[in-house]
Amino acid sequence: MASASHNSANQATLSDSSAADASVGLIDRLLQKQQQLTAVERFAQQQDARLKPELSPVYRDLIPLEKPSEGEQYSFEVDLDACSGCKACVAACHNLNGLEEDELWRNVGTLVGGNTELPVIQHVTASCHHCLEPACMGGCPVNAYEKDPITGIVEHLDDQCIGCKYCMFMCPYDVPTYSSKKGIVRKCNMCSDRLAVGEAPACVQACPHEAIKIRKVSREEIIENSETDQLVPGAPDVHLTLPTTRYNTKKVLPRNLLPNDYYVSKSLHAHFPLVFMLTLTQMAFGIFAACFFVQQAYPSISAGLFARLDAIGFAILCAGLGVATLHLGRPFKAYRAMAGLRTSWLSREILCFNLFAGAASGLLAWGWLAMPEQITGISRTLPAAATVIAGAIAVASSAMLYIATKRPLWTAFRTSSFFFLTGAIVGIATVMLAMQWALVDSKSSAWLFGSITESGSFDIAAALNVLAQALMLFTVCKLAIEGSIFGNLWSVQFTPQRHAASLMAGELRWTLIIRFALLVSGGLLLPSLFLANAQATDAAGSGAVLMTFSAVMLLVGELFERYMFFAVSVARRMPGAPN
Amino acid sequence: MNKPKVDDTKTASKLPIPSPFERVFDGPLTQDLLLRPADFGLGMLPDRVQPDATTKVVCGFCSTGCSLNVHLREGEAINLTPATDYPVNMGMACPKGWEALAPLKSNDRGTTPLLKDRSGRLQPTDWATAMEQFTGRFRAIQAEHGAESVAFLGTGQMPTEELAFLGALAKFGMGMKHGDGNTRQCMATAVVAYKQSFGFDAPPYTYDDYEHSDVMVFVGANPCIAHPIMWQRVLRNQNNPEIIVVDPRTTETAVAATHHYAIAPKSDLTLFYGIANILISEGWIDPDFIDRHVNGFEDFKQHVSEYSAERVAKATGISVERLTYLALAIHRGKRVSFWWTMGVNQSYEGVRTAQSIINLALITGNIGRPGTGANSITGQCNAMGSRLFSNTTGLLGGHDFGNPQHREKVAGILGIDESVIPHEASDPYDEIINKILKGKIKGLWILATNPAHSWINQNFCKDVLDRLDFLVVQDMYHSTETAVLADLYLPAAGWGEKDGTFINSERRIGVIKKVARAPGQALSDFSILQLVASYWGCQDMFKDWSDPEAVFKILAKLSKDQPCDITGISDYRMLDDNGGIQWPLPEGQALENNQRRLFEDGRFFHADGKAKLLFEDPKPMPEPATTAYPFLLMTGRGTAAQWHTQTRTGKSAVLRRLYPAEAYVEVNPRDAKRLKLRAHQRVLVQSQRGSIDARVAITPTVQIGQVFMPMHYEDVNQLTLAHFDPYSHQPSYKNCAVNIVPTD
Repeated sequence: MASASHNSANQATLSDSSAADASVGLIDRLLQKQQQLTAVERFAQQQDARLKPELSPVYRDLIPLEKPSEGEQYSFEVDLDACSGCKACVAACHNLNGLEEDELWRNVGTLVGGNTELPVIQHVTASCHHCLEPACMGGCPVNAYEKDPITGIVEHLDDQCIGCKYCMFMCPYDVPTYSSKKGIVRKCNMCSDRLAVGEAPACVQACPHEAIKIRKVSREEIIENSETDQLVPGAPDVHLTLPTTRYNTKKVLPRNLLPNDYYVSKSLHAHFPLVFMLTLTQMAFGIFAACFFVQQAYPSISAGLFARLDAIGFAILCAGLGVATLHLGRPFKAYRAMAGLRTSWLSREILCFNLFAGAASGLLAWGWLAMPEQITGISRTLPAAATVIAGAIAVASSAMLYIATKRPLWTAFRTSSFFFLTGAIVGIATVMLAMQWALVDSKSSAWLFGSITESGSFDIAAALNVLAQALMLFTVCKLAIEGSIFGNLWSVQFTPQRHAASLMAGELRWTLIIRFALLVSGGLLLPSLFLANAQATDAAGSGAVLMTFSAVMLLVGELFERYMFFAVSVARRMPGAPN
Repeated sequence: MNKPKVDDTKTASKLPIPSPFERVFDGPLTQDLLLRPADFGLGMLPDRVQPDATTKVVCGFCSTGCSLNVHLREGEAINLTPATDYPVNMGMACPKGWEALAPLKSNDRGTTPLLKDRSGRLQPTDWATAMEQFTGRFRAIQAEHGAESVAFLGTGQMPTEELAFLGALAKFGMGMKHGDGNTRQCMATAVVAYKQSFGFDAPPYTYDDYEHSDVMVFVGANPCIAHPIMWQRVLRNQNNPEIIVVDPRTTETAVAATHHYAIAPKSDLTLFYGIANILISEGWIDPDFIDRHVNGFEDFKQHVSEYSAERVAKATGISVERLTYLALAIHRGKRVSFWWTMGVNQSYEGVRTAQSIINLALITGNIGRPGTGANSITGQCNAMGSRLFSNTTGLLGGHDFGNPQHREKVAGILGIDESVIPHEASDPYDEIINKILKGKIKGLWILATNPAHSWINQNFCKDVLDRLDFLVVQDMYHSTETAVLADLYLPAAGWGEKDGTFINSERRIGVIKKVARAPGQALSDFSILQLVASYWGCQDMFKDWSDPEAVFKILAKLSKDQPCDITGISDYRMLDDNGGIQWPLPEGQALENNQRRLFEDGRFFHADGKAKLLFEDPKPMPEPATTAYPFLLMTGRGTAAQWHTQTRTGKSAVLRRLYPAEAYVEVNPRDAKRLKLRAHQRVLVQSQRGSIDARVAITPTVQIGQVFMPMHYEDVNQLTLAHFDPYSHQPSYKNCAVNIVPTD
């Protein structure tokens, strides 16, 4: 039979031009037909555009019949025993809410535990917990969050959002998602539009096992539960925000039931505009503070030098603040950013930095114009002190911004000591560099740092000596504080600190090595060389080069440090992630 | 809600300077998500995705056969929701179904045919050139090496009409003898087991059985993850059923079960003979049913008598008490159903294992009644269509190539010369690969499957494909591991871009429809087959095969008087209106009940109407763990969001977020401790055949000495050992020895 068909096939050769033409015509016909959509014409349609959702009989019992009464709100209720881990809820939420291609408002994590004889896998579906005390709302600088007084649903006002992402830092459940295309954050609103008309949220509709329900919960009960309750093993402490979701199971969960990624240390996204903003603004504060100290201790040093340093400090401050706006998804709406002063540390930080910049510009006026001093009769000391105080408050407010997130690595001590020591180290090094260059009689440096006559140079040398020692002291402090994290490598428990330490010793080890190399060279080796060099006869030029290297290394080193500050901050979130 | 819905933006924009304390409650970003009531009973939907019509399409991933209600605007799909009034899924779908439209939009879709140039690169070409190359090169090979030197590999992912067209065109039109499909990798074992035991490839159940059982035994099946919409039916069961899971791994299903039997890998055959022995010796059987409907009982009784509880306990690692309990549970159950999937099918003794399960159902009379059955859960969306109509190992319509009456019948209905019908079935997939290696097959046409990823012992397979003189790959994507090896690539339209029917696990035939435009010059496989027929010059043979629905009607005629008789189904419209129809539905029979099971009259498809008890002694694994390769590797499904070689599921941004991006190997905590492995550590997993990178996932759900890797990651099949069931030729993917070496 094979040969038979072979022969018949051979008879129809393509050299037969009419057959070839027919085939080419067929190609066009088929290509054309491929683009025609006929399903609507060919198959029966649901003629009546029925308004009643077809699924409503399925989910009728899964949503409350009535609005919450006084003291109640809506919440998700998850039956862990029914959840099979299929993740239909995630896809349905995406699909029915018309989210962006890779935007997810719901996630399913996995807990694993037990022993080989009786292993346990538990999937945990989670979205926004519509907390009694939403941290996202408290953090938002533009009041773009609203907790509905009746339903308790935490709604996000998308058009109000400026895309600062601070809510993402604040939420312990990693709920708000950022869309770089839209420049804003969005989040689960419990499908409030659906609930308002008696429809179930997308996830509730889509669960094949009816594992997700909407229930009314009493706020009292949530508060009571928060004394002992953990949502599920591995979830963040409930007292942070008083989440309302309830997870039910009839099973006795083993004590070692842990998120499937519990032992995995993964670095987080480092926000580069924030890395630069923090480092530069702290550097500016350090410059003002070091200047203030030198001027108070050595009044004979020419005021011209300080005026130039004020200008440098101000420029760096402005650069830091300017780069911060790159962090915003919608920078042109930044004018709203102080609306949240009542609760938001971001609003407060912005206010504090405005005051800092205001004070610094005043100081600049004092240094560069004769008028302010002549008119008011106030010397430079007062505006300089005001700038330093405003700067200190601004740096403290930056620290509070991160402390307020309650991320385990962003403790009050670690954050504030990092921030102030960065200011001290880079600020001192910059002031030293300026003073040393001022000693150099060179045209190329004079335009920036001026030139100091013989008479002032003795005090400058003395001040430099003290500054160098202070720089080395602060460097040792910073080394000790930063290095102390590595003690956690030996901790028995896999604490967030241990995760941070193992990240720095593992995935980020080269960042860490460079960071410490820069800090030790810039803050210890070069300053000690500088001190040794100061005794030499022709010290000015080489000292200036040394201090330039020191300042640059320290600045870059602090940028590396700040990068790691974000990368190893170990955000809280619901347990277990697929990736 | 107390938010002011009126235009705040407008008032705000009237102000000369926007107040920083004014809150904006509305605007384009808010409107983007705002929900409005939609028509067609869909509830609230965002404006952007409000449809002007809807139509139901059966899902194109797995064999559950869910119906998806595709939302259309001007005839084109813009979104979908699971269909609510379909008897399979009742308004539900797994994430793959929800995301079924996303893979169509991928930027690696083939938009023109691609032809390999002299430097070995695939270059765009037009359809005319592609077809001339296709026919010219295949003809030249056949002229030199004989008609049998060209073969094809199909799929269970294409609609029945296309599979039938492919099989008929290749064999009757182009003179090929050998063609098989990737159903060899998933369902061949069940097919052969059913054929031998029942006389026809006939999964007897309907999904309602999940709800009626009081005891359900799942063997090598993880429906929680692999068939979530079937698991939905299990959870709807109101009988407080006992759910018994037999699986070496503690899967989600095992955790959810009432009893988990974590047997030693490949001890399943011994286990079920042991259970049969207990049932028989305790008298917990249905002698009346056996008498009337079953052959071979005495021999079977004799055979299993050697499987003492102690022997079975030793082999399976399950205590004698628990073995007795399993038998007792089956005995006590009034409606016991047995369900198996790939844990059984993908085994070197899968056919006998499947039959050992069938035997339990037969001797206890648990078949043909609600809530009973020896039920194979199918893998691919159209595995059943492929099994019955692909014209590969069986002649169109569940017929036999070796049977002259069958050949005559088929030739008559198709109006073709009987002599073009081969007298023998095709060689199976593994033999086709072997014949390429031996140089007997020189040209290969691969459609909608990805052997360079999925075939067992992948390196060998790639090497073999490399030896072909001419490889044609017809696929949606030009980027699959197999498509990149092609000499000629043909861009195919995918699910959602063409019409046809699928047959699901419970034998339900459902319609798929064209609801999206294929990209560029991609054509439906049906159209490509029409082109091939035309260029090959055998278009006259297929002059009645004008469109998929016409072919469906031809196939219905072919099914006449077969167990799978569907002559009572008039057209697609009838299928669409009825929520799919299960075979059989012979002409004249009214469709009174849309949840029908087979064998309610106790008559099986063997000539004497009786089922056969088939059995054979278990064989040891060919490659047990050794000192050099101390772990037994099992492969399988990773998550519900992944499908096979991920050519489609990997294209959805949503699905990609639902599973780990990198390959991982699950290791028991005690093994991990012994090897000092950390979670997420990079390791090499090595077998005698390959060595691949993976991350360590430490979990007690795998037993000591065993490891598990999901099959979806590209390299995994470099490790697997090419060995096959002797009857079904299905690859045994779940047992090979590996070693684990840390690399960081």
